[in-house]
Amino acid sequence: MGTSVQVTPICGVFNENPLSYLVSIDGFNFLIDCGWNDHFDPSLLQPLSKVASTIDAVLLSHSDTLHLGALPYAVKQFGLNAPVFSTEPVHRMGLLTMYDQFLSRRQVSEFELFTLDDIDSAFQNVTRLTYSQNHHLSGKGEGIVIAPHMAGHLLGGTVWKITKDGEDVIYAVDYNRRKEKHLNGTVLESFVRPAVLITDAYNALNNQPPRQQREIFQDSISKTLKSGGNVLLPVDTAGRVLELILILEDYWAEHSLNYPIYFLTYVSSSTVDYVKSFLEWMGDSITKSFETSRDNAFLLKHVTLLINKSELDNAPDGPKVVLASMASLEAGFSHDIFVEWASEVKNLVLFTERGQYGTLARMLQADPPPKAVKVTMSRRVPLAGEELIAYEEEQNRLKKEEALKASLIKEEESKASHGPDNDLNDSMIIDTNNSHAPLDVVDPHGGGFRDIFIDGFVPPSISVAPMFPFYDTTSEWDDFGEVINPDDYVIKDEDMDQAAMNFGGNMDGKLDEGAANLMLDTKPSKVVSNELTVQVKCSLIYLDYEGRADGRSIKTILAHVAPLKLVLVHGSAEATEHLKQHCLKHVCPYVYTPQIEETIDVTSDLCAYKVQLSEKLMSNVLFKKLGDYEIAWVDAEVGKTENGMLSLLPISTSAPHHKSVLVGDLKMADFKPFLSSQGIQVEFAGGGALRCGEYVTIRKVGQAGQKGGGSGPQQIVIEGPLCDDYYKIRDYLYSQFYLQ
Amino acid sequence: MASMGGQPPSSLKRRDAPPVSKEGDQLIITPLGAGNEVGRSCVYMSYKGKTVLFDCGIHPAYSGMSALPYFDEIDPSIIDVLLITHFHLDHAASLPYFLEKTTFKGRVFMTHATKAIYKLILTDYVKVSKVSVEDMLYDEQDINRSMDKIEVLDFHQTVEVNGIKFWCYTAGHVLGAAMFMVDIAGVRVLYTGDYSREEDRHLRSAELPQFSPDICIIESTYGVQLHQPRHIREKRFTDVIHTTISQGGRVLIPAFALGRAQELLLILDEYWSNHPELHNIPIYYASPLAKKCMTVYQTYILSMNERIRNQFANSNPFKFKHISPLNSIEDFNDVGPSVVMASPGGLQSGLSRQLFESWCSDKKNACVIPGYVVVGTLAKTIISEPKEVTLMNGLIAPLNMQVHYISFSAHADYAQTSTFLKELMPPNIILVHGESHEMGRLKTKLTTELADCNTNIITPKNCQSVEMYFNSEKMAKTIGRLAEKTPEVGETVSGILVKKGFTYQIMAPDDLHIFSQLSAANITQRITIPYSGAFGVIKYRLEQIYESVESSTDEESGVPTMRVDDRVTLKQDSEKHISMHWTSDPISDMVSDSVVALVLNISREMPKVVVESEAMKSEEESGRKAEKVIHALLVSLFGDVKLGENGKLVIRVDGNVAHLDKQSGDVESENEGLKERVRTAYRRIQSAVKPIPLIAA
Repeated sequence: MGTSVQVTPICGVFNENPLSYLVSIDGFNFLIDCGWNDHFDPSLLQPLSKVASTIDAVLLSHSDTLHLGALPYAVKQFGLNAPVFSTEPVHRMGLLTMYDQFLSRRQVSEFELFTLDDIDSAFQNVTRLTYSQNHHLSGKGEGIVIAPHMAGHLLGGTVWKITKDGEDVIYAVDYNRRKEKHLNGTVLESFVRPAVLITDAYNALNNQPPRQQREIFQDSISKTLKSGGNVLLPVDTAGRVLELILILEDYWAEHSLNYPIYFLTYVSSSTVDYVKSFLEWMGDSITKSFETSRDNAFLLKHVTLLINKSELDNAPDGPKVVLASMASLEAGFSHDIFVEWASEVKNLVLFTERGQYGTLARMLQADPPPKAVKVTMSRRVPLAGEELIAYEEEQNRLKKEEALKASLIKEEESKASHGPDNDLNDSMIIDTNNSHAPLDVVDPHGGGFRDIFIDGFVPPSISVAPMFPFYDTTSEWDDFGEVINPDDYVIKDEDMDQAAMNFGGNMDGKLDEGAANLMLDTKPSKVVSNELTVQVKCSLIYLDYEGRADGRSIKTILAHVAPLKLVLVHGSAEATEHLKQHCLKHVCPYVYTPQIEETIDVTSDLCAYKVQLSEKLMSNVLFKKLGDYEIAWVDAEVGKTENGMLSLLPISTSAPHHKSVLVGDLKMADFKPFLSSQGIQVEFAGGGALRCGEYVTIRKVGQAGQKGGGSGPQQIVIEGPLCDDYYKIRDYLYSQFYLQ
Repeated sequence: MASMGGQPPSSLKRRDAPPVSKEGDQLIITPLGAGNEVGRSCVYMSYKGKTVLFDCGIHPAYSGMSALPYFDEIDPSIIDVLLITHFHLDHAASLPYFLEKTTFKGRVFMTHATKAIYKLILTDYVKVSKVSVEDMLYDEQDINRSMDKIEVLDFHQTVEVNGIKFWCYTAGHVLGAAMFMVDIAGVRVLYTGDYSREEDRHLRSAELPQFSPDICIIESTYGVQLHQPRHIREKRFTDVIHTTISQGGRVLIPAFALGRAQELLLILDEYWSNHPELHNIPIYYASPLAKKCMTVYQTYILSMNERIRNQFANSNPFKFKHISPLNSIEDFNDVGPSVVMASPGGLQSGLSRQLFESWCSDKKNACVIPGYVVVGTLAKTIISEPKEVTLMNGLIAPLNMQVHYISFSAHADYAQTSTFLKELMPPNIILVHGESHEMGRLKTKLTTELADCNTNIITPKNCQSVEMYFNSEKMAKTIGRLAEKTPEVGETVSGILVKKGFTYQIMAPDDLHIFSQLSAANITQRITIPYSGAFGVIKYRLEQIYESVESSTDEESGVPTMRVDDRVTLKQDSEKHISMHWTSDPISDMVSDSVVALVLNISREMPKVVVESEAMKSEEESGRKAEKVIHALLVSLFGDVKLGENGKLVIRVDGNVAHLDKQSGDVESENEGLKERVRTAYRRIQSAVKPIPLIAA
């Protein structure tokens, strides 16, 4: 029997909520994607909290919030400690996206769902794979192979293929079939007849954006700039924005424009730095231009990278284009800039993706757009005056309590271990490491000297007054003299590695200085908010640059992939229902649309058993090559090998009679040149028929539109008068098939 | 070479003779270069009709055609995949020749970084060798064209071509260097290329593959030598340079333009940073590639180690502070102490040679050879510190400069090789890329060290084939309708065996379109035959041949039709034509052919009246005829055959007698052997003479 496969949606079915699904394969639980939305609504994660502890591995498909946003929270709050798998760009860009999210939030609210450290620790145990790398799981998942494949939507975006015993489960959401400037199209179409395909219905009702979209995009931008207005493109942190940057770069170069373009996120410069080194993951045109001329497309000539808004404010006046995160306008720079620019008629806000449900961006994309919107402007201000004093007092009190607690613990510990113990030593290391955590740093004005000492070195419990640590090195002796530790005498070869460590990877990567400052900012501050109503007078345009396959190509791809079973997730209820009906008719008879927390069993009812093909049998089999395949008819007798395997032996009695079989897929378009190469006059007659020679015609009837489902074999008709040509052409026709 | 001594049958070219079916399990590995030598790496491998070529280098010590691997030994057109491990000349430089000037039509793969640098390094090679070599193997155009044919793959990415699966691991030799693992029908071969298990300033060390290969083709450059620890080598290197320049001398470092040079520059830049007193001494990196390759090094940091990646977070470690590029010797103002790193590494020609010749007679100067040098190059010669050297113009000059050989080349030494092999435990080891005495010593030492694991170590010479046999079990998966019930021993299984790559599936024809992209097809044939006679005549004639001929009328047109043997339908379309249609399969085609023949005959014999009695009378006659035939055939088989009593035949052979009953076919004889033979013979004669039953089994 086949491999047991169950799918349980955790979040994101029948709506456009973030994606998160539990896929269990023979009892091994994969959490595929771990998304959150821009509202960071913990109630969405309710189902995840229940299953977090049972998860054996996490697979991430894309680097945006909707696909991995909840990872830090889940790791911290739900004890999700399974290994995480993703591609290198998803890991890196995901990390930057989360930094940007956090910093944007932190700037305007007391954001406490997770911290930068939580993000770091969540991303620390990510195993990075390359495309088409077959990763064999071990332990509980023995026998399961996972492999990421190109999805085409975002850099490093992944279609996951999970294989066990030759059966494929494919998870493909947000793929893109079209080749873009920086990415190739998805390779999803190269998978044929997987046992299960899990895919989304997000775009099922959307159809291809109009051809002239590019012109609208360019025209509206250049028109706004020429009339002296500013253009705001609310973008994601490190995903689709890369494509937009390249489009703008090209347009600017082509028309030699010199309006400034700014890319403003908290992590913009490191984003582009990393992207520059991810060329392996990009499309052919980019890699090719680098290989031949070492032209890195992301050495940007027209786009200026900014990491805080004051730099934008200091920029020279005049029309400009600003790409700022977040795309939802809920927070971040885009929010602030929108508020500033919305009331000016000349300005343009250009949306390149559908806003998440219930966000400001979505509101503005409504038709007609609202005349005015209410927004909350928040900003972090340093504490001053009485507030500051109160804060410091509070901090001091906390410090003292902590110190007291710490010394109590120390006391106990040193009671337990006597003499020169390592605890002292350890505590120092811990403290120095912690010193970057803002709240732990002692305010020099506030605390007494005692606190400083306590923070630096914990006084031994036996001492009355604080003292510098003193280690009494007692040496041990045995029969051969002093006991030495050979390690002490080894020449340190790895000194340079240590030097490297100092450079820096506390942050597991680089964070822009400004951002770092902000984060390490120890100045006490608070958030001030005020609500205001913004008159929306600027023009608003929505153009689809989402880079997702549209309804039509989704259907084409699904029909081509033709899975044995199909699971639909993520997409509005209408879209899901629409795609379901379509697939039932044209793709396969088993289409599932589970509800949240509803477990569906998609174990294939496929029968299969393994046999060994004996050498004797195979020496008599003559294969015929048809495309990638080689086929042959076998009549065999079942036997057993020494180790109890079934094996096929040549048949001893006469072969049973069977209906003759013609195998092959005749393509008229391919057959025509073949015939003409054999010296036969060929042309297409009406209705797809092929007229060969003077009299003979070949045509296909009952055109089987869909390959999947119950459609039968193809029907080909050859007709003509009795003549030599007829038999000649028939022979050529037969040569296209395997006949048994 | 010796093995070339005119033995054409040993050649690997596929002759016209059809492949022997046994050949399937023979695995052949033949070094076309780098067998018992260093340079022109090229290893041919073939198994189950699939062929793979590893690397495509040139021999740096030779020029023109003689620098190529022995491509004549193979037929380039049958190679499926060509895998290049890294960009060094001795591994990649004959690739443009192979792609552009031979019949090769397979696919070529290398890593991203290798491809980017490949172009730079070969373009440079072409330019440099123009000075000394007349017969160019290829030009820049060929290199540019070859770029389009090269495909890239990433580390660990599995690629499948014609059923050959392969992927690569980090090799740690230079940026982008890879070790290839090839899997053909379950037999795995690891080709290490050049590798190093020691992490250095910018590269990762070679990975240990997850799976143990069946055959490991491994480099043996350093044989049984052991490297000094890296920090000692680095200290010697910097000490030599420091001493020389503080005495007012010049230091020449001949190095391969790319690869190890970057490591040396990292060392020098760091040393200079730590020694401010040296800041007025210039370091030149005399290679036009210097600037170009830096962007490559900046881009593919993902292929480097953690250390570089962390440094990258702050500033680009490849943006050197104390090193300046030098484009040509004309730009070089040779006034005082300086350090110059120049290519090529072997001092064959080019800038390094020019500088060497102008500096070699001053004993204050020094030449540091930082890596492995190939036999036959000047660099190799001066390591043994001869008194004199021959200059490019043929003059002899004294060699007074100091020559130091401090190896930074990232090849595995004995300790690394033996641990690598011990962890990997391949049953077969093939040593390549090493001079024959080094290789021999390595083989001896490895044999003793791996004595208890039954390892087979081979050191083939160029063009010497290693043949191995693998018994691979072919497993098939029976799926779909055919597999609804697992069969018992003795039952039969019939279905379509579908082979894709090296996976086999057996399925029912109706399931074809479910489990594969193939589908079954029906071909309906319709043929019109001119016939103006009566339709009934055809029916009458057919009835004499076929058991079942049913007449009816066509529902649509109302014309008379008939169906022959339930396969072929005849229809009287008009007075002048009949049409015939049927669904293709061998038997129906045969039936249709007979109908066509019959109809044509009728048209021809139209006026002839068929005499019925003739056919009736022949019953008896044919019986008699048959008996005569049987008798004659038996005589021709056994010789003495007489008619005995009761119509039995008496057969005598060598004194043995057999009685054959013609009616029942029973044979009586003393001799069992004869009895059996007569019975068989009679049965065959019977089946040949008697008419065929109308319906097949």
